[in-house]
Amino acid sequence: MNPLIASIYTFWVETLPYITIAVFTLGMTLRIQRWLSAPKDHHLPKIDLVASIKYIILDVVLFRKTFKRDKLTWALVFAFHGSIGGILFGHMRGFHLWSASLFDPLGHWWAEWMIHTLPVYMGWILIGSTFLLLVRRIRLEDKQLHSLVNDYGALLIILFAAVVGQGMRIFPPESAETVAYSVVFIPKYIVLHLEIVPSYHWFHWHVLMTQLFVIYTPFSKFIHIISGVISPALYGSRRKELDI
Amino acid sequence: MTSNLQENIKAALGKFTRKQLMELDTCSHCALCTEKCPAYNISENPLHAPGVRTAKAVKLYDKKFSLWSKIFGEKEITQKEMDDLAESAFHCTLCGRCRESCPFGFETHELWIRIREIVDAMGSTPENVTRLTKMLDEYMNPYGQDPDTRLDWSFYVDIDEVPEEDEADIAYFIGCTTAYKGANHEVAFSVCKILEELGENWTVLGEEEWCCGAPSMMAGKVEEAKKYAEHNVKELEERKIKKVITGCAGCYRTFKFEYPALLGRKPNFEVLHSVEFLRDTLAEGKLNIEKGDERVIYHDPCELGRLSGLIDKPREALSYLTSNQIEFDEHGIDSKCCGGGGLLQGVNNDMRLDIVKIKLEEAVENKADILVSACPSCKLTFVDGVREHGIELEVLDIHELVAKRLGVLE
Repeated sequence: MNPLIASIYTFWVETLPYITIAVFTLGMTLRIQRWLSAPKDHHLPKIDLVASIKYIILDVVLFRKTFKRDKLTWALVFAFHGSIGGILFGHMRGFHLWSASLFDPLGHWWAEWMIHTLPVYMGWILIGSTFLLLVRRIRLEDKQLHSLVNDYGALLIILFAAVVGQGMRIFPPESAETVAYSVVFIPKYIVLHLEIVPSYHWFHWHVLMTQLFVIYTPFSKFIHIISGVISPALYGSRRKELDI
Repeated sequence: MTSNLQENIKAALGKFTRKQLMELDTCSHCALCTEKCPAYNISENPLHAPGVRTAKAVKLYDKKFSLWSKIFGEKEITQKEMDDLAESAFHCTLCGRCRESCPFGFETHELWIRIREIVDAMGSTPENVTRLTKMLDEYMNPYGQDPDTRLDWSFYVDIDEVPEEDEADIAYFIGCTTAYKGANHEVAFSVCKILEELGENWTVLGEEEWCCGAPSMMAGKVEEAKKYAEHNVKELEERKIKKVITGCAGCYRTFKFEYPALLGRKPNFEVLHSVEFLRDTLAEGKLNIEKGDERVIYHDPCELGRLSGLIDKPREALSYLTSNQIEFDEHGIDSKCCGGGGLLQGVNNDMRLDIVKIKLEEAVENKADILVSACPSCKLTFVDGVREHGIELEVLDIHELVAKRLGVLE
């Protein structure tokens, strides 16, 4: 391999993870500082845990309001978020947060399907739904919405990360030899272990894109991954307060 | 553009609370709220879409407060940006329907009021709204009527005297739209007759009743609303009032939810919408009423239903008045706005009349004999809509329906 490409790949896998963690931490700190520097709210509902959890599940997990409005949009939004959720859960295995034996009770065939087949479908669903959301955004632009640059940035990063991630799965490894890979974010604590060596180039691009996703989170619409839970929790408590 | 103006705008932008700022940062501009927005539905102008409003607002905020602006200097907010934000902020009925379609459940009503405050700081508030706030300031009501004519409605209806006591258990807070708008005089009359019929110890504030302050807030002058809150609460507390009842959804929401925030304390009286009082009275059998069988359709006033949570009680009250209660397809928390809120009448009355047309046509399609609401602004809008669009439909406030059943109103 071209030594320049090899050194870039090494940088992405060995050095960039530390930068990613540092930028993410700094970004989140700045974002929280931005919110905390604003005046306090005097109108917040009293938190009701049951109501808050109920509306987080209904509105954030199940997209109840979108379902009520339009089933097709709901299917698209649910497919997008559901596949992201599934894929992120799958990645947690690489971080050793769970192991393949979790599915053993399902029997060998189902366990294999859950570990090796479903993720491929999830990848296609994510690519398809992200693309359609992008088309939807472009179609509604200047008619029903005015996107900010980062609205597109967020979707494009997900789309690229998903495409190269899927490429890893569907293209065969360039090398016949298997190499065990680890991507260290925080030594001992956050380390991604790869079971098999995927397609070399696709893998490195995927590592880059997913790190860009993490880096971009505090500075973009991805922040709703975190803040998007707080609002429905408050909404749930407000509904409880108003008895509706 | 003067730096003074830029500083004023920056100060107003700096009023976004923590939660509001988080909401602005979280909004994905997904447009899921757009189709539910009554203003956008009529105009199809992207500036009227709620998600576009948040995009515009956060852009302005970032010009003054982002990390980028701190490092490289603040950017000037242009006249075009001010005009766009004003156009967006005031083409809104503040109905809160966007909250119910937002996956995150942003409290948009409060957010839009805050954005109107920014528009006010920009000096871009629509002329009619500015005129309204001047009238409020001078006459203590948004209609520019002399305060001493606040009880003049009683001359036009069959009522002997409206009590103005120094002390009473109940105060009927009439509200400006009921007191000064002809279409609502019989609403005030009906509430008074019900109170009379029940033999309650009640009073009105007369000249001392000031606007509740809601129009001031809706115009983006939140600080000024405080003076109305202070005055009204002082007058009511001096009279040792135990319960304040009002037939106005806007006054109710303001008293119940805004006053504690504006004053920093809860007033020493209970606040009820008269429909709650009515429901309890009817449930206890205190009024001798015969049920009718007309097809009655109930419109949920946004400020009463979605924004204050009074959804079942008006229906329970209605169940004592008719055996034939019907519903709009979207009702309760999902109810469509009539178009009468958010000072839209002053900004774009044509839009208001187009919005109400949708609701009136739906009532006719449902073969309703009577369209009933519990808010003078809604009633006024329905009455204007019926007249404008030549729709044959009887429009009544729920209290008028009670008065009719009691035989005191024709």
